[in-house]
Amino acid sequence: MEKNHVTHLLPDYLDNVLNEKDKELVKQHVSSCIQCKLELDELKILFKAMEDEPVAVPSDRLSAQFEAALDKEKLETSKVVALPVVKQKSNWASNMLKVAASVALLIASFQMGRVLQVQKSDNDMATLLDESLKIKQTAMLSLMENQSASKRIQGVSYIEEFPNPDEAIVNALANRLLNDENDNVRLNAFEALATFATSPTVKQAFIKALEIEKNPSIQIAIIQSLVKIQAKKAAVPMKKLLEQEDTQPFVKNEIELALPKII
Amino acid sequence: MEHLSDEIIMQKVAEGNLDLLKVLFDKHHEHIYNFLYKMSGDQMLSEDLTQDVFYKLIKYRSSYKNGSFVSWLFTIARNNLNTHFTRKHKNHDDIDVLEYKQIANDESKHEDYSQLQNALNRLNVKDRELIILNRFQEIKYEELAEITNSTPGAVKTRVSRALKKLKDIYLENI
Repeated sequence: MEKNHVTHLLPDYLDNVLNEKDKELVKQHVSSCIQCKLELDELKILFKAMEDEPVAVPSDRLSAQFEAALDKEKLETSKVVALPVVKQKSNWASNMLKVAASVALLIASFQMGRVLQVQKSDNDMATLLDESLKIKQTAMLSLMENQSASKRIQGVSYIEEFPNPDEAIVNALANRLLNDENDNVRLNAFEALATFATSPTVKQAFIKALEIEKNPSIQIAIIQSLVKIQAKKAAVPMKKLLEQEDTQPFVKNEIELALPKII
Repeated sequence: MEHLSDEIIMQKVAEGNLDLLKVLFDKHHEHIYNFLYKMSGDQMLSEDLTQDVFYKLIKYRSSYKNGSFVSWLFTIARNNLNTHFTRKHKNHDDIDVLEYKQIANDESKHEDYSQLQNALNRLNVKDRELIILNRFQEIKYEELAEITNSTPGAVKTRVSRALKKLKDIYLENI
């Protein structure tokens, strides 16, 4: 009999959820087993107590707070939802724009850097050239004042370094041509100046030199140069040379050939 | 919306229809509250924990995965309760800490409590939990198994045994 106790079925029996077969089994067993009958009655009391147990009701605070939290969440959610939509729309385009902008920025700064670099180096080069020319000019001028004739020649020959010599250099050279005691220096100065014969200063210096020059080879060189530039003013000193007795005959000859060409 | 099942409603909530949470709250908050109250015997605490359960429902709505809604809800409630008591009693690291509290309550014979509540308080936590969920909140064995990580058969046996224990305690005090 013990083995057939139906204790485990009693709760479901009271809940009336057993199938017909089990229900019948419990009924029959309980009618004959005092132990199980007792068990069933006690369980009934317990179930009754459970039914009668008052349901605790939470205060209104609970639902008020829940609704507040829900409203807050709704507010935040609508914000959160709105943002990704905007983001997604502009995502692709804005990313491309960002990339394009950074590439443009890179190129622009590269070019700018290059231009600035070139400008700067140009400036530097110009300054350097300028400085070196100034140094050379100073050197040239001071060499030309040197006592040694060869140094003076060296100074004069520095003219090759100056494509566009300024007034100070030309004057210094003219000064050499007119006043230097050494023939070679004067000849060198003449040759240097001959390159710039078209300049009025040089022309004037040649004419003046022709008046005072005694060295025949320089005289001839000056005459030829003056003929080449067609200096009409040179006619007067040439004629003067013709009249002078100490003028070399081949110089006079040269002048006679030259005069018709310039007049 | 009353005709829809909790699962379908929760699905809609997870998809973003927050207004429907109100429906679920109205329908279930008393059950959760009663479960927590029966478990803890503390009204204020139960209200706070119930509050927290539904906050979590709002917060983790998108993590709901089609299971039984009631199981899910009671699992959250149960975890809340456990977390509360483990936090309060850092020395104890199991749900059993509840027992100490309840035994203490029982010894002082809380006058607000019914005979039945006092009897319940003398059960161990796991038995008490099963009976409250099964008998008071009418959670079926299948869902109960889901909540307690067990099988329906094992749960049924355990409930039946727990009922017998409770009955004996209850009757001896009458």
